[in-house]
Amino acid sequence: MSTQFTAVLDALTRQRGVRASMVVDAADGIAIDWNLQFGQDGDRVAALAGSLYRKACQSALAAGLGSTGFMQLEADAGTLCLLGGETLVLVVVAERDANVGLIRMEMRRAAQAFA
Amino acid sequence: MTRFVKDAGVRLALLLLPSGQVLAQFGFTRAMDVMSACALAAAIHASSAELGRMLDGKPFSGLHAGRVRQLFLAEAQTARGPYIFLTVFDADTSLGLVRMYCDELKVNLAAAAPPPAAIQEPVSDSTFEGELNKNLAVLFGRV
Repeated sequence: MSTQFTAVLDALTRQRGVRASMVVDAADGIAIDWNLQFGQDGDRVAALAGSLYRKACQSALAAGLGSTGFMQLEADAGTLCLLGGETLVLVVVAERDANVGLIRMEMRRAAQAFA
Repeated sequence: MTRFVKDAGVRLALLLLPSGQVLAQFGFTRAMDVMSACALAAAIHASSAELGRMLDGKPFSGLHAGRVRQLFLAEAQTARGPYIFLTVFDADTSLGLVRMYCDELKVNLAAAAPPPAAIQEPVSDSTFEGELNKNLAVLFGRV
């Protein structure tokens, strides 16, 4: 079943090094649309990534830094990239050697397309 | 249950039987509130299950309501039968997180629940005398 986000998520996942992409409801932490590889647990990633981004936004506000834009979490085997607005969060799971700068640019482009 | 409450960051949690009998609770301050909540949760679960059967042929598996303070009701299947799980949470957590940790709780409950009680076969006339003699022999040390 395709949504208004499917084409954008497909384009994101076609980027070199991107393993998964999804659009998550910012308040509920539930995936609205996703492009995953076989065996990936999208529900868990959506819930935890959504919660992480929300806490990051609250932390930035508490620190007087204003609203949060792009967020990048580096792990041993790759990077988790998040870009959110008031209602949606765009999540990309990338491999270690992926070009995060390029991914960020594509995510910003996708966010503008959603808006 | 303690791990669920800590991980999910919920305000209230109740584990009960479909009959309304409470098994565990977190966050309630009065026993009367626990009993009332259990009775209502059991009724909601029974009603929603029946509604699901009428509409879809199978009972609804979960219930979510609310916007600022939210309620989530789910059923956990164990060897002893179903348990009902009710939780109330707010903006400190999210529905996705609650559902995720609730799925883990269901697995842990199924693993921790005691096995179903063994069904004893009814004693018949033909076996009664044999069983009696066997037990008497064990009692008097002849076996």
